[in-house]
Amino acid sequence: MSMLKIKIAAPAGFGIMSMGPLLAKVLKRYGFYVMGYPEYPSLIRGGYNSYLLMISDEPVYSPYEKTDILLTYSKLSFDKEDLKSDTIVIADFEKLRVDKSNLNCKVYDIPFAKTVKEEGLPDIVQNIIGIAYLCKGMGIDISVLKEVLKGALSDKVLEVNYKAAECGYRLCTEHFVNVEWEKRDLNEHIIMTGNEVAATSAITAGVNFYSTYPMTPASTVLHFLAKYAKDYNIIVKHTEDEIAGITMAIGAAYAGARAMTGTSGGGFSLMVEGLGLAAITETPLVLFISQRPGPATGMPTWQEQADLRFVLHASQDEFVRAVFTPGDLKELFYAVFDAFNIAEKYQIPVFVLSDKYLSESIFMEDGFKTEGLKIDRGYIFEGDKSDPMNLFPRYKEYKDGIPKRAFPGTPGGIHKTPSNEHDEYGFVSDDAFIRKEQQERRFRKLENLVKEMPTPLLYGDETADITFVSWGSTKTVLFEAMKYEKNFNFIHFPSIYPIDWKSTKGLLETRKKLILIENNFTGQLGGIIAENTGVFIEDKFLKYDGRPFFVEEVLNILKRVS
Amino acid sequence: MKPMELNTNKKPVWCPGCGNYAIWNALKGAIAELGLNPWEVVTVSGIGCSGKMVNYIKCYGFHSLHGRVIPVATGVKLANKNLTVIANGGDGDGYGMGLGHFIHAMRRNVDITYIVHNNRTYGLTTGQASPTTLKGVVTKSTPEGVIDEPVNPIVYALSAGATFIARGYSGESELLKELIKEGINHKGFALIDVLQPCVSFAKEFSYDFYDNRVYKLDDNYDFTSKENAYKIAYEEDRFALGIIYKDISKPSYEEQHSVLKDKALVEREVRVRDISNILSAYK
Ligand SMILES: Cc1ncc(C[n+]2csc(CCOP(=O)(O)OP(=O)(O)O)c2C)c(N)n1
Ligand code: SF4
Repeated sequence: MSMLKIKIAAPAGFGIMSMGPLLAKVLKRYGFYVMGYPEYPSLIRGGYNSYLLMISDEPVYSPYEKTDILLTYSKLSFDKEDLKSDTIVIADFEKLRVDKSNLNCKVYDIPFAKTVKEEGLPDIVQNIIGIAYLCKGMGIDISVLKEVLKGALSDKVLEVNYKAAECGYRLCTEHFVNVEWEKRDLNEHIIMTGNEVAATSAITAGVNFYSTYPMTPASTVLHFLAKYAKDYNIIVKHTEDEIAGITMAIGAAYAGARAMTGTSGGGFSLMVEGLGLAAITETPLVLFISQRPGPATGMPTWQEQADLRFVLHASQDEFVRAVFTPGDLKELFYAVFDAFNIAEKYQIPVFVLSDKYLSESIFMEDGFKTEGLKIDRGYIFEGDKSDPMNLFPRYKEYKDGIPKRAFPGTPGGIHKTPSNEHDEYGFVSDDAFIRKEQQERRFRKLENLVKEMPTPLLYGDETADITFVSWGSTKTVLFEAMKYEKNFNFIHFPSIYPIDWKSTKGLLETRKKLILIENNFTGQLGGIIAENTGVFIEDKFLKYDGRPFFVEEVLNILKRVS
Repeated sequence: MKPMELNTNKKPVWCPGCGNYAIWNALKGAIAELGLNPWEVVTVSGIGCSGKMVNYIKCYGFHSLHGRVIPVATGVKLANKNLTVIANGGDGDGYGMGLGHFIHAMRRNVDITYIVHNNRTYGLTTGQASPTTLKGVVTKSTPEGVIDEPVNPIVYALSAGATFIARGYSGESELLKELIKEGINHKGFALIDVLQPCVSFAKEFSYDFYDNRVYKLDDNYDFTSKENAYKIAYEEDRFALGIIYKDISKPSYEEQHSVLKDKALVEREVRVRDISNILSAYK
């Protein structure tokens, strides 16, 4: 296995967030596997943005701490980055006013600023010059870069960027990195962020209504769906707030739309009231929640997985919901697709829980198989034209706790849909018997639902001594660590509620040593496992500094415990 | 269809003499006289005495959350623009809790009719001050009298760009019915603020109070003039009844939305979509 870690860094506003994916695409087209992880503060200009790319001749899943090559346009790099003697730093030292003689690393001093001035190019294309410089240094033909530029940029700015690319190639006079690795044909692979995949999956699943209010790191789902709304006949509405976002989606779903909303924890706090409305009215709704650290506004652009308990328990009273916790692009794609079917089939709210790291990092996949995928809209009353004024028992059990839906406009389907407890026709009721009957019916949905949720799975060598227990995106780092260390395996939870705890308990109990790994302070999954199985995982590896796990950290843990 | 046939088998539980009965009758009358198919009508309500309305009319009914009538109704209408969507709520519901939604609804101009049962009190929670309670009135939550300036819904609506603004009164049921009909026929958001006496908790705003202060806008009144409308909205000692403002030049939200131009959203089949085009951009 060969591996190279390149970081591009610059003040916000310099285009780093698009340079990372651009370079990643070039590398993929050239024949390397790539994974990319961006870090950025909540600033539009200034500050310190970085994009870390992991490049390999094998699939690569997660970020590392150590950088091999740093291409930087920011003086801050020299404080923020851990530069080792073998780190290659590419920068315009004159422009940054950094004294390179004091640096204990390999330095390439490139006059980016002077070049754009001499060539009459806009300042901003220094970023492309740098990318081109890197590409040449790795021996990648300029045609690959130009092809990617062509796909990414409008015709208006293409010439300027081509020129910048040529400047970068000219400035680089040596292959300063050795990547004489075996190349693969990765042309059919896609390279996408989690949010792009979540939105694409929603489109696949036939979503036709998405209403929400922007909140990082979920906002790009809104942007993506808005971009494709016209092509696919989707109503995408940026509402006045999250309360309107979720209740509008509920209104639409009630009327027959396939509806979804999406936000982060802060926005979901506002949506909780609407969540209860979806539950009591049995209106199907998909909620895409991308986590970030902190209560209230927290750290908008950083990583944490601490909203699991929140989505599991949000709202007063008790009701059936489903919670998916996908760990990678594939799981995310199928979780979102299934979420729509499950929401409509069981007439419940369904969560897909992502986080900043999964939502905004870029990963590679060999595509998504969509043959065989089916839409299941659940039980729907088709109407009765002969008796259009009939009152319809909307909340009467049809099968397995599930009633039939009747969309407004359906003759013979007239019923009421209240936020109060209600009888079979939807009339408000506080009758003790009716309350009990309705509550029991709604909970009867669990029995079949649990069979449809993906179960925790063991990855790696069955007989290994150490077993990590993870949910959500931490799956990726454990996969990556397995490249180096074989004496561990892990149990990953792609969904957490409702799942079959009996078999899960069995899976956990037959392991030699369990270590919980979670991006939160309290080890939320650990608590949930203890509550449901009596298995208490004492060893915990918890991280809550706003960053995802890095591979080296996992390897260090393994060293410590074995 | 006769209004009576729109009754459900539930008897209204409003207090005897409550102004909500007149709104109920006017609404049933409007639906019946317009010849709407009840299964193509959706009433959406908030929470409060006003919100109970949905239970008493035999058409589809969504009794939503306190203050959230507007976004739920908007979702219904955007999903199926062929439906007649009638939203109901109280003044606490719509001008307090839901004020933000209310203002934004008028910017949007989605084709829904919004009837506000404005009784200047919180009825269901037994008589606290509402956003339209006038200054000085003593209530359970304001024992020294209200200090806040009241919300003036007509002024708010005018400034938010509403295209149909009317005021009705429970004591003038016939007129109210006509206003509701006009509101339903209006292509766009229609606000009907109804002066609704709450006989149990808002004794200051009784039928007597209104009977002496309401007057009907005459046939010569030009409701296309915003200037006229503002004048009327700011009247303090009397309340004009009728269509205060109407603008038919602005298209509704649905008419402007590219996805809704030719078909209702729910008329399009939900099926697995081909995403190869999207994916190829990421190759
Ligand atoms: C979130 C929430 N907060 C509070 C309540 C309690 N509540 C029910 S009705 C109501 C006020 C109703 O007043 P108004 O909207 O004026 O309607 P009215 O009863 O006067 O018709 C309140 C505060 C609630 N149901 N939901
Ligand atoms: S409390 Fe007031 S608003 Fe409520 S039913 Fe009684 S009179 Fe009507």
